[in-house]
Amino acid sequence: MDSRKRSRSAHKVDFKSWRDFTPMNTSVGTMLHNLTGTWRYVKPCYEDKTPACQNACPAGNDIEAFIKLIQKGDYENACRHLKCEEPFPAVLGRVCFGFCEAACNRRVLDEGISIRELERFVGDHGSPALRFPEPAEEHGKTLAVVGSGPAGMSAAYFARLLGFRVTVFEKEPEMGGILRLGIPAYRLPREVVAREFEGLRAMGIRLIPGTAVGSDIPIERILKEHDYVFLGTGVHASLPLNLAPGAPGPGILSGLELLRKTALNEPVDAGPRVVVVGGGNTAVDAARTLVRLGNEVTVLYRRTMDEMPAHHEEVRDAQEEGLTFRFLASPAGLLLYENGRIRCVLCREMELGPPDRSGRPGPVESDRTFELEADTVVSAIGEAPLFDYLGGRLPAENGVLAVGDDLRVHKIEETPAVVYAGGDIIDIPHTVVHAVAAGKRAALAMDCDRLGIAWPEVLEEIRTGDGGALSFSRYRGLPPLNPVRMNLRKVVRHEDMVTDYFMEAPRVPANRSEADDRRNSFAPVSRTFTPDQALDEANRCLHCGRCTECNNCLVFCPDLCVLPRGDGRFGYEVDYDYCKGCGICSVECPRNAVTMVDEETPVDLYNLITPINENFP
Amino acid sequence: MKQVIKGNHAVSQGVRLCRVQVVSAYPITPQTSIVEEISELCAQGKLDAEFIKVESEHSALAAVVGSQTAGVRSFTATSSQGLLLMHEVLHWAAGSRLPIVLANVNRAVGPGWNIWADQLDSLSQRDTGWIQIYCESNQEVLDSMILAYRLAELLYVPVMLTYDAFFLSHTSEVVDVPESGEVDAFLPPYDPLFFLDVENPRMFGGMIGPEHYYEERYKMHKETLDALFRFPEICGDFKSRFGRSYDLLETYRTEDAEMILATAGTITSVSRLAVDRLRGEGKKVGLMKIRMFRPVPAEQWRKALAGARKVVVIDRNLSSGHGGVFAGEVKAALYDLDRPPRVYSTVAGLGGRDVTSEDVAGIAEHFLEHDDKEPLYWGLKKGEPCRN
Repeated sequence: MDSRKRSRSAHKVDFKSWRDFTPMNTSVGTMLHNLTGTWRYVKPCYEDKTPACQNACPAGNDIEAFIKLIQKGDYENACRHLKCEEPFPAVLGRVCFGFCEAACNRRVLDEGISIRELERFVGDHGSPALRFPEPAEEHGKTLAVVGSGPAGMSAAYFARLLGFRVTVFEKEPEMGGILRLGIPAYRLPREVVAREFEGLRAMGIRLIPGTAVGSDIPIERILKEHDYVFLGTGVHASLPLNLAPGAPGPGILSGLELLRKTALNEPVDAGPRVVVVGGGNTAVDAARTLVRLGNEVTVLYRRTMDEMPAHHEEVRDAQEEGLTFRFLASPAGLLLYENGRIRCVLCREMELGPPDRSGRPGPVESDRTFELEADTVVSAIGEAPLFDYLGGRLPAENGVLAVGDDLRVHKIEETPAVVYAGGDIIDIPHTVVHAVAAGKRAALAMDCDRLGIAWPEVLEEIRTGDGGALSFSRYRGLPPLNPVRMNLRKVVRHEDMVTDYFMEAPRVPANRSEADDRRNSFAPVSRTFTPDQALDEANRCLHCGRCTECNNCLVFCPDLCVLPRGDGRFGYEVDYDYCKGCGICSVECPRNAVTMVDEETPVDLYNLITPINENFP
Repeated sequence: MKQVIKGNHAVSQGVRLCRVQVVSAYPITPQTSIVEEISELCAQGKLDAEFIKVESEHSALAAVVGSQTAGVRSFTATSSQGLLLMHEVLHWAAGSRLPIVLANVNRAVGPGWNIWADQLDSLSQRDTGWIQIYCESNQEVLDSMILAYRLAELLYVPVMLTYDAFFLSHTSEVVDVPESGEVDAFLPPYDPLFFLDVENPRMFGGMIGPEHYYEERYKMHKETLDALFRFPEICGDFKSRFGRSYDLLETYRTEDAEMILATAGTITSVSRLAVDRLRGEGKKVGLMKIRMFRPVPAEQWRKALAGARKVVVIDRNLSSGHGGVFAGEVKAALYDLDRPPRVYSTVAGLGGRDVTSEDVAGIAEHFLEHDDKEPLYWGLKKGEPCRN
């Protein structure tokens, strides 16, 4: 700014008499010539950032945007924003662990936002055939997806959006993998899963159930007939219980098998008294399923509830439904009847010792035992993938497939296809959302490979926050909800917010059914939020790191330099002629949506993000 | 319409009638009910004013300086410690030439902690550049509010209106409350010369060096002195509309007085009774009521007092290390006379101690017979100290 720029009204005044002074203590003329902006060395810039919830989400869901759209009553667009980063909000809203909720900044004020309930609400209200963005024109490259669980489904969905011709092979008669055959119907109704696959089919993805790669179709043919292959076959082998006189035998079931049979309406030979061994979701799902089938169930877990991998809410719900949990207990052996059927489970009491490989206190055997009368034992102590179908072409290390940062499978022998893998068969946490994130990552990596773009460079552009989440919308060059400069990498946590500006409000509780009703059926254990409930809960969102036009900056600016852009345009403009760079707007922004940048930084406030590559408009 | 109201409420009604638009005040006994009533008037829709809640008197006056600078008729009220806390801003308001009106309930300054009538609070602010008016009755309080805004906005000098704690603030008297329309005719809307204007930004309160400061302050002083001419004119207009007379001062039975008492505040009321009693006994005693104290109506005081041999000033205040403040000022004003009357100083009624007409008569009789050079500390307990 040219400091010599002055208007003609600036001139030296020499008073000859006391009468010449202004009647009030003011300057003789206007001070417009005094461009106080020249005093600045830092300046404010409106910059949306990544809130803690989006940062914690493995899939990088733009949570703030979809909640803002719920507040506006625009459920369709809310669904679109979610479907930009994950394929099935109606599913994830029901089954996701909710890393977002654990990180929600509002927790320091009163209670975090029920993000999953809102996601479920949007998923239920948005049409599954909603395609956003529109799938690109097919470019001719093909992708074969092996396994229709969340990893495979996600890879298929995003690849289709990127213009691949996609075929999904599923060995079971029903599509969905763990969504259909693992997670019980009372948590995830079959209709919800079916609706999602109907949407996939409507997108142009070919779904081929009842076809096992390996036995029905050799892997060679898949590798030869497709440009890209994504392996999402999940886990199938239950880890065996180490019980004398030997297992498995009659009366010993695997948790996975139990869940699969129930999902397919096949009869289950168990009970009436069942002991389930394990502390993960499979164990709790199996146990709650058995209760609904009319059995009396006890869950044995060798550590305490604090160390259980299962959702703690599930454990609470299970206890309400009449399930008994015996913590710090492990099965040591079986006592049988003469006909070989189980009479009792011999249990050993455990104690917590020093931390083991998982970082949790390790279970230590005591010398105290007790007996539990039981007819059936269900083992749910862990699952592993099975790689028989690969015919030895891709060796597994430590029971999982080794992959690179782009999820391409290592140590691949020369094959025509480029092979990627994701979900429970690679070394990532065993959650649906991690599988979804893996599928998305693989699809993006595939597209970069197809276009010959270096993956590390793309990663720099599309990483969200400081975790591993990737932004599909950024890759596609889609504009964010707020037409404001966006800095995806900067994360806003609660200490970056000014919570003084927010009033406390109670969290809207979920519409849970009564325990007695729940234990008697496979009907969903809760109902989706009503629109009123969704609005009330959405209104609690603090919109961390994102401008909501709350006017704090405008009100507090001592130089009246923050003005609305007007004419229906979003946001504010700063009169840099007079802005002194005091930073009050930045400090008083409740959401950390104003960044002070160096004076030399060129600030084009409304320069929206541009596409990564020219193949997309 | 005649109403029976307390002094504090007379102020509130004044604020209403003057259509004040911004009020900012911090509660302090015995001022609190002024603002309580104002807030009720706002709630009832009888007064359309913005109330700015603040955490201290310093902020209250600062807020009012802000709103007045923005071109809006503003008001604040305080007392004693609160007025002292505003001290820096009092200087600033006057120097800024802002026509703010402040109602100060005269209350003793601590320590010792005393909430009753004493004039040292406002008197200790006599150098801040504010016009000061001392009131004797609730009617005068209400009328002075209206006169104050007219005077302030004419001269661009702030006005401090004072009256005794509890004797007036919490005592009900008959007050003739004018109609809104009548006051509107007397007091037009505030039409500021300059104000904060985003379209036409100016510098307010800017830096001024040795080459200009003197003239700026002289101008302020000179234009404050204009009150001595403008106030009587305004009072004339007031009388023609409302029928009540006011002036820079008031004299009572001074025409042939040999001794004239000089008082301010409610002591004036009981002094009138004392004067009547003494006149009844054949003593030629009169009374001068000090109404405007700043600017000093020195010429008018000289004219009122020149005919007497003795002037007895009764101060309900004591400036430590100096004496009664009014006495000092009256002496200074009379100095220019060729043969000034002797001025005798009395200090009475500090911290709300009652001063009756018997007390005033006693003071007058004392000085009729004596010529003390030292001040008379009327009612001071002087018994043998009781020590164990």
